[in-house]
Amino acid sequence: MRLNDSAKTAFAGLRHSKTRSLLTMLGIIIGISSVILLMSIGQSAQNLILDQVKGVGSNLIFIIPGGDGGSRNAAPASSMGVIIKTLVARDIDALKREVSVESALPEVRGQAKASTDINDKTVTYSGVTGDYFVARNLLPISGYPFSKADVDSYSRVAVIGKKIAADLFGARNPLGRTVRLKDINFRVVGVLDTAGYGPLGIDQDNAIFIPVTVAQKLMLGINYYNIVTVQAKDVYDISFTENRVINVLRQNHKITDPTKDDFMVRTQADALDLLSSITTIMTLFLAAIASISLVVGGIGIMNIMLVSVVERTKEIGLRKAVGASNRDIMEQFLIESIMLTFVGGLLGIIVGAVLDVIAYFILVNFTTIGWTFSLPISSILLAVGVSTFIGVIFGLYPARQAAIKNPIDSLRYE
Amino acid sequence: MIEVRNLKKIYADEESQTKALDGVSFAIKKGEFVAIMGPSGSGKSTLMHILSYMDRPSSGQYTFLGRQINELSDHDLAHIRNENMGFVFQAFNLLSSSTVYENVELPLIYSAVSPGSRRPLVEDAIASVGLVDKTYVSAGKLSGGQKQRVAIARALVNNPDVIFADEPTGNLDSVSGAQVMEIFEKLNASGRTVILVTHETYTAQFANRLIRLRDGKIEVDEPITNRRKTSEEFFK
Repeated sequence: MRLNDSAKTAFAGLRHSKTRSLLTMLGIIIGISSVILLMSIGQSAQNLILDQVKGVGSNLIFIIPGGDGGSRNAAPASSMGVIIKTLVARDIDALKREVSVESALPEVRGQAKASTDINDKTVTYSGVTGDYFVARNLLPISGYPFSKADVDSYSRVAVIGKKIAADLFGARNPLGRTVRLKDINFRVVGVLDTAGYGPLGIDQDNAIFIPVTVAQKLMLGINYYNIVTVQAKDVYDISFTENRVINVLRQNHKITDPTKDDFMVRTQADALDLLSSITTIMTLFLAAIASISLVVGGIGIMNIMLVSVVERTKEIGLRKAVGASNRDIMEQFLIESIMLTFVGGLLGIIVGAVLDVIAYFILVNFTTIGWTFSLPISSILLAVGVSTFIGVIFGLYPARQAAIKNPIDSLRYE
Repeated sequence: MIEVRNLKKIYADEESQTKALDGVSFAIKKGEFVAIMGPSGSGKSTLMHILSYMDRPSSGQYTFLGRQINELSDHDLAHIRNENMGFVFQAFNLLSSSTVYENVELPLIYSAVSPGSRRPLVEDAIASVGLVDKTYVSAGKLSGGQKQRVAIARALVNNPDVIFADEPTGNLDSVSGAQVMEIFEKLNASGRTVILVTHETYTAQFANRLIRLRDGKIEVDEPITNRRKTSEEFFK
C-alpha cells in the first residue's frame, strides 16, 4: 500500500468521527501548549534575570565572608545561617592600599520597619560608604548622597529609593524629614532616581541607604561586613584583580592553606553562570511538569484508538479480505494516531504561542517588570517531535491489535 | 485452477474435536459456476474460507493456480486474495460512509495498480453492475440490492480469476436477488469462474455444478442439467 493511500485512508477514518478526533487531540493540544508556554516564559524570565545582572557591570568582584573549600559552586556561609565575622574595615583599607581598584565598597544589610508620620513599611536597609553612590552611579534626583564625613561621624542620615520615598512620604517632599528605623531617627538627605535591581538582586528603588558605621554599630551591633564589592579597573584583566584580592585577603587573615579561606571571591561571570544554570534548570523543570499532561494526552489517544479498532473490526476484516496485509492495517492505524498527535501538536503550538503573547502583554502593561517576549524555536521543535513520538508510542499497541485480527472472525464480528 | 485433495479442518478445544471438513477432494476448472450447498454445520462456510485463502486447512492439499497453500505465507495469501480473487458477502460489508467509488476502489489501493490508472478500472466495474449514476453516493444510502451490486463491482475491479460469493442473495428480496444472480450469470458467461455458497436450492440452480456437503464430507458432486436462467424468470 502506498503511503499516500495510507494517509488518505487514515484521514478518512478521522474525518468520519470529527468530534471524537478533536476531543482526543485536546489532550495533546493542552500538553503541547503548556510546554510551549512554560518554556517561553522560562526563557523570558532567564533573559530578564541575566540582563539585570549584566546591567550592573561586568567588572565587579564580590567578596563574601566564609570559605568555599575550593568549590566554585559552594553556597555562601551566610545563606546557611553561619555568621562569619572576619571581613572587616582593615580588609577594605588593605585592598584600597595594595590592589589597584576602582572602588572597594563594604556593605551590611538588614531588615527593619521603617516608619514616618504617615506610613510604615518593612524595608531592606543597606549600610554603605560615601563612595558607594558614585561608584554605583546612583544619583539622587533631589538632595545629595551622604559623604565620607557623614560615615566617619556616625551621622544618622539616609538616602532612600524612589518607590520607598513615595510609600513612606506620599506626595510630600521627603528631604529633611525623618524616617524611623529600629527606634533611630534618620534624616532623609537624598532621594534616588529610579535604579532597578542592583547586584545580588537588591531592589534599589525600595531600599534605604544609611552610613555603614551607623548600620554596624547602632542597628546591628557588629563590626564586620556582609559583602564587599570590588570594582576592578578596566585596564586590568578581571582575573588578575581577582587573584590580587585573594592574595591580599589571605595575607591579612594570615591564611596559608587555600582550602581554609574564610572568604569567597566571586565575579559577575560566576554569578551569571550560576543564574543561567539555575534558570535553565527551572525552565526544564517547568517543561517536565508540562510534559506529564502530554503523557496523559498520549494515553487518551491510545484509549480512543483501541475503541476505534474494536468498533472497526468489520472494516479491518473486509480490508484484509480484499488483500490488505497485516502491515497495511498496522500502517493505517499508526498513521491515524500520528495524524492526531501531529495536528494536535501544531494546534498546541498555536495555542501556546497565543497564550505566550497574551502573557507578554499582561506583564508589560500591568507590571513594571522589563519583560521581553521569547518563543524559543527549540520549544517548537521539541513540541512537534514529542507529539509525533507520542503518536507512534501510544498508537503502536492499538495498531498492532488491529493488524493481528483474523479476517474471518473480524468479518463475522457484530 | 482449483484442486483440493483430502482436505480436513478440525476445530479442537480442550474437551472435544469438531471435524468441520473431513477429507474433501475435488477440482474446479476455469469457467465453472459451482454452487456449494449443505445444511448449517455441514462445513460449507469452512470450505469457502479455505478456498478463498482466509483460513488454512488442518491437513490435506489445496492448490490454487498451481500454488500450494501450505507453501505460502500470510502475506502471500493477502497478496493472492488481492490479485486473483473477488469476494461478495451476504452482509455486503461496504464502508458505509465512503462513496460507491471509494468502496469499489478499495482492493486497488492494496494492489500494484498505480493511482493514476485506477479510475478507468473503477468506472468500468461500476458500469458493469449498472450503478454509474450512484458513483459518488455514500454506500450507506443505497438499497440492499444496490449495495450488493457495489460489492460485486468491488469484487470485479481487480479482474480476478475467481469470484467467491457467500450467500449473496441471503439479505435481498427476490427481485434484487434475481438482479444479482443475473450479474453472476453474465460474469460466468464471459468466462469467469464463480463459486457460490448458498442454502437456497433456487439460487444454486443458476450454477452449472453442485457440490453438496454433509457433516464435512461431500455428499453430492454433480452437474446441474436443468440450469435456471434469470431471463426465463423475470425478463421474458
